[in-house]
Amino acid sequence: MPLMIISATRVITSLQQEPWMNVCVGDIIKLENNQFVAADLLLLSSSEPHGLCYIETAELDGETNMKVRQAIPVTSELGHISKLAKFDGEVICEPPNNKLDKFSGTLYWKDSKFALSNQNMLLRGCVLRNTEWCFGLVIFAGPDTKLMQNSGRTKFKRTSIDRLMNTLVLWIFGFLVCMGVILAIGNAIWEHEVGTHFQVYLPWDEAVDSAFFSGFLSFWSYIIILNTVVPISLYVRWREGGPSARLRWGPQYPGVPQPDLPLPCSVEVIRLGHSYFINWDKKMFCVKRQTPAEARTTTLNEELGQVEYIFSDKTGTLTQNIMVFNKCSIHGHSYGDMFDLLGHKAELGERPEPIDFSFNPLADNKFVFWDPSLLEAVKTGDPHTHEFFRLLSLCHTVMSEEKDEGELYYKAQSPDEGALVTAARNFGFVFRSRTPKTITVQELGSAITYQLLAILDFNNIRKRMSVIVRNPEGKIRLYCKGADTILLDRLHPSTHELLSATTDHLNEYAGEGLRTLVLAYKDLDEEYYEEWAVRRLQASLAQDSREDRLASVYEEVENDMMLLGATAIEDKLQQGVPETIALLTLANIKIWVLTGDKQETAVNIGYSCKMLTDDMTEVFIVTGHTVLEVREELRKAREKMLDASRTVVNGFPCQEQLSTSKLTSVLEAVAGEYALVINGHSLAHALEADMELEFLETACACKAVICCRVTPLQKAQVVELVKKYKKAVTLAIGDGANDVSMIKTAHIGVGISGQEGIQAVLASDYAFSQFKFLQRLLLVHGRWSYLRMCKFLCYFFYKNFAFTMVHFWFGFFCGFSAQTVYDQYFITLYNIVYTSLPVLAMGVFDQDVPEQRSMEYPKLYEPGQLNLLFNKREFFICIAQGIYTSVLMFFIPYGVFAEATRDDGTQLADYQSFAVTVATSLVIVVSVQIGLDTGYWTAINHFFIWGSLAVYFAILFAMHSNGLFDMFPNQFCFVGNAQNTLAQPAVWLTIVLTTVVCILPVVAFRFLKLSLKPDLSDTVRYTQLVRKKQKAQHRCLRRVGRTGSRRSGYAFSHQEGFGELIMSGKNMRLSSLALSGFTTRSSSSWIESLRRKKSDSAGSPSGTSDKPLKG
Amino acid sequence: MQKTSQSSPSRRPDNTAYKQQQLPACRVQLTASRVLLCFFATGLSCLAMGIVLLLSAKGIQEVEINYTETCADCAALRENADNFDKECSCSIPFNIPQAMQGDVYMFYKLYGFYQNLYQYVLSRSNIQLVGTDVKHTDGCDPFATLNGTPIAPCGAIANSMFNDTIILSYNFNSSEDIKVPMLNQGIAWWTDKYVKFQNPSFNDLPSAFEGTVKPPSWSQPAYELDADTPENNGFTNDAFIVWMRTAAFPTFKKLYRRLHRTQHFTEGLPAGSYSLHITYNFPVTKFHGEKSVVLSTLTWSGGSSLFLGLAYTVTGAVTWLAFFSMMAVYVTMEKRI
Repeated sequence: MPLMIISATRVITSLQQEPWMNVCVGDIIKLENNQFVAADLLLLSSSEPHGLCYIETAELDGETNMKVRQAIPVTSELGHISKLAKFDGEVICEPPNNKLDKFSGTLYWKDSKFALSNQNMLLRGCVLRNTEWCFGLVIFAGPDTKLMQNSGRTKFKRTSIDRLMNTLVLWIFGFLVCMGVILAIGNAIWEHEVGTHFQVYLPWDEAVDSAFFSGFLSFWSYIIILNTVVPISLYVRWREGGPSARLRWGPQYPGVPQPDLPLPCSVEVIRLGHSYFINWDKKMFCVKRQTPAEARTTTLNEELGQVEYIFSDKTGTLTQNIMVFNKCSIHGHSYGDMFDLLGHKAELGERPEPIDFSFNPLADNKFVFWDPSLLEAVKTGDPHTHEFFRLLSLCHTVMSEEKDEGELYYKAQSPDEGALVTAARNFGFVFRSRTPKTITVQELGSAITYQLLAILDFNNIRKRMSVIVRNPEGKIRLYCKGADTILLDRLHPSTHELLSATTDHLNEYAGEGLRTLVLAYKDLDEEYYEEWAVRRLQASLAQDSREDRLASVYEEVENDMMLLGATAIEDKLQQGVPETIALLTLANIKIWVLTGDKQETAVNIGYSCKMLTDDMTEVFIVTGHTVLEVREELRKAREKMLDASRTVVNGFPCQEQLSTSKLTSVLEAVAGEYALVINGHSLAHALEADMELEFLETACACKAVICCRVTPLQKAQVVELVKKYKKAVTLAIGDGANDVSMIKTAHIGVGISGQEGIQAVLASDYAFSQFKFLQRLLLVHGRWSYLRMCKFLCYFFYKNFAFTMVHFWFGFFCGFSAQTVYDQYFITLYNIVYTSLPVLAMGVFDQDVPEQRSMEYPKLYEPGQLNLLFNKREFFICIAQGIYTSVLMFFIPYGVFAEATRDDGTQLADYQSFAVTVATSLVIVVSVQIGLDTGYWTAINHFFIWGSLAVYFAILFAMHSNGLFDMFPNQFCFVGNAQNTLAQPAVWLTIVLTTVVCILPVVAFRFLKLSLKPDLSDTVRYTQLVRKKQKAQHRCLRRVGRTGSRRSGYAFSHQEGFGELIMSGKNMRLSSLALSGFTTRSSSSWIESLRRKKSDSAGSPSGTSDKPLKG
Repeated sequence: MQKTSQSSPSRRPDNTAYKQQQLPACRVQLTASRVLLCFFATGLSCLAMGIVLLLSAKGIQEVEINYTETCADCAALRENADNFDKECSCSIPFNIPQAMQGDVYMFYKLYGFYQNLYQYVLSRSNIQLVGTDVKHTDGCDPFATLNGTPIAPCGAIANSMFNDTIILSYNFNSSEDIKVPMLNQGIAWWTDKYVKFQNPSFNDLPSAFEGTVKPPSWSQPAYELDADTPENNGFTNDAFIVWMRTAAFPTFKKLYRRLHRTQHFTEGLPAGSYSLHITYNFPVTKFHGEKSVVLSTLTWSGGSSLFLGLAYTVTGAVTWLAFFSMMAVYVTMEKRI
């Protein structure tokens, strides 16, 4: 393995501020509290004792709990600049890679080697917490950092319409060549039959020696004339190097610019307009964070109307990463429901006043609780309630800091614990301080110091933690909190009645998506404890299987406990998340949650945001560790779904008979609602080439998919998988650096802005600060964007074909000589001036239904997903309409003009009058057509449409005026044409007839479609009746039933090892004297536990452990 | 983040109708009543217009005499360019069964003559024709110069000018031939005659054209086009202007003369026998073209616009048909609901 050698290069004498970009490998940088880590650092020293430092890795892996890192002992003393300046160590380590949880390296310093591991590293993207400052040596910087290695490549994103356009442009180009060939052959034949004889009047050019060569030149001339059908103008530069004067735009019109088709330009303008609308939308403005939505790209808007899959991060996106003590059950009584004055359960929005905690000077004023009866219970001295809060204030691993008297700061390792301890604090059981051996609690005003005898630490298998304390009276008591599934089995039989009441409450909490913990205590007598403590010590000193032994010792004491109650913590969702998810689901969008967090927490959030419901037929959980296990689990899931749907089919054999044969192959049609939860390590196998399809099929058959413990790269792989096989538009939304890769991979990346990290926002295409804005972005902005873009493109092709094909028909009457029908100026201005603005106004402002309707009827979103509004079929319809128009546009004036004369006998059918007539009717027809297409007539639309017509006539008359002709006789040879031609009633009759014949079939067609096959947006617009029906159905779908299925609401984002850390006293700022006693005794085992934690938690399955505990 | 929110407290998007996409607007709906009404009205007006047009077209009288075959000898002579100086003429007697009331116009009609070829249309010099510079022949290829001397008027259009002379005689009292008085002026657009075409400003026309030669196919120089009216010469000659306004299609008719309503002809052309005396100069048979003379009266909508009338009638009829079928569809759909 190649190695990297890093030595502390810069000689530092003083600290200086540098921007991130200047950070180089080998620099030593100082970080302060709450700062983002700028590069992958080797922690040298910190403000905390023993070179400890705390980081939050939510940005990196979505986990919410705090992690601890420690400097290696030799460097932890380098707390001062002067000492650091002398540091000249050398690190040899692995080359840059994307493994977030592994690091291996060696530090060479002062002639000795020190092994380095991930425990000593601060990775870029983490946030420093609870640590005043720290110094670190930069190991990897910039793109070499593990975070950036995980973020995947940046790809240029294009919309599916762009891709379709590329195909269409090729087709049109082929069509153009075909027309050129037809006309060239026509020219060759004509020149052979007629042209040679016509040479008396028009001899051939010297260069032209045969009809064939003339045809060849005519081909190129026609390619140039007809190029206006092709919506890119890249290749239209022939006139510069035209091979012969016979080619168009020869010497005659040197100054007339070739009309550049502004399609790509107009498309960009429209998208830009839509982006501005997103930026300006006040309904997507977050007042709290003062952040408006931001469209960071202007090229993807219409794809927002076609999204089929949403991949969402959890932490920070769905949740606020704030834990709130929401409810509790104490001795069979549930507190925390809100009641209004009449005693009914209050709905959201009509909240009564929160409880006043002013009696308690130490209360945290950010804490709110709504149920006054709990406070009452505390005040009346209910012993159960007191014991409940006492437990909360004692059984935890929180550190407190009291900067000023009465101003307490808790440093909690997980937000859950923080919430619990804060709740106890506000209800009068204030955890004030701790030493390795004591915990001081202010109980309703009086300070009581408990002797801390043991912390039975938390881990993912035990799913509980306990403390053993001796109260001032000398009684020893064990306090335990943990998962209901574990704890309820370890209770004393006497609590049976209480148990059932509490279980009811737990189910209720779980149904609401709250995270639950069960609290229990047990009195220990002195002798038992002494004896147990000895056994524990032995176990902890054991050389082999220390952990198992400890676990069994713990198991032994945590038994026959007395139930106290349960807590319910709300992992606070972002505003409106369940509603948004429900609405998006109704719009046929599938939502997958990809999170780095633990399975329990992820599932819990799945329930609380109503992705998972108790109504679901089954939630499959895939946790296999090997390829075979994963394959088996997926297969079982599929079979179950198929079985279920088969039974349904058999139950109702009448209608479903036909589709049964398909069912076996198409899993999409399964009956019942399923959900899939898959773990990161299983996902790694599922994403392998031979299993990815199986996985995808299974996942897509499920209503909800949750992937937990996934790495940033896996997130991208999942998105890529769906992109690859489903051919659907994907959207990824996230807030942290760990979401960058999936944001970049998905068709559309959305970043949650307004929070601390901006990595996700920087990688995103759209950014706003609330998940709930997603519904507006997709259902309103996306839908409109798609609609407008499709309408725009249809109209654009229509108008250009109508415009251009006239030349083709004229070719048959002018000897295929590449004569244009229109005046050069008209050709130039048609696309740029006469017809661009009305369609642009439609493309920017059009609305089919009001925005409220698109929220009310999420089904309106479906045409976009099915790509109904602009596809190859629609394209051909537009082209056909354009060609139809061009035929009428040419042949009606031809029919009229061929025989007619003006009312004064002079010629009507001269070339110039014909040109003006056709041009005028074309402008009028396309204006009427845009009027028909515009569904939403704002003043701007009126202005542009009428304005375009006015400008057309103004320019026409100006160009044909005497004044211009006098100045430039050769350039403006149409002099007098407008006033002479447009004064003729026959000309106007022709124009009117052409317009009527071109437009009426379109109106008839639309009317028939409307009456015979109306789509939903038509229906929404027209029928009130249908609307009411829909609404009822809507509500029906929204109702979330809560059946009494038993489900654990346990989820706790906590990490093993802190108990030991506290007992070791390492993280406490005590006088060295007080500490000495502990430090000598303590091993560095806590840090091993911390290290182990990663593999454990990755390995631990959810409900049932695959490593059974030793009894 | 905090900095920005402090420095610009108004990050909140403006609450304007424009920015919130709430502009007051009317949502256009294709309601059944509107569509049906529109079809009914359109059908009605198209039918009415069609009938009016057909009726007025019926009032037009038109006589066309194709003399390509009749003057086959002359045509054969003209096919050989060497015979350009040999005169050839032919007479065609014909009958007008009904008197042609009002203004009567005489046209020459060419079949298969491509005045709309790209190269042909370009081959002229407007700068020369407006009289600014008589020697300006840019763009007149392949008829710009003759042996180095600029041609005036230059270009393929001018060179190919129709130069048959057509004289209409009225066989009065079946013995006496009266030459029908015709005007050869006032047959071009005002803007063409007075803006687009101007003679070079000199005292006399011939000296203005000094240093130029006549187009190769012409028998006389531009300043001798009309021997009778001196001011109808040069670039402002009406027949020349009419020719220079190129036709859009290979078959076209151009105004040649209009009836001078004097003597016997104050009411138009009386019924009776007539004859055309044609001095045949303009070769067409070589490229399979044909020539004819057309005598016609006009109405408010111009010449014979049968097509327009028919088209309107048909459109009106079809629209009504569509109206009734849509009505039927609509009613059945309504019932089903």
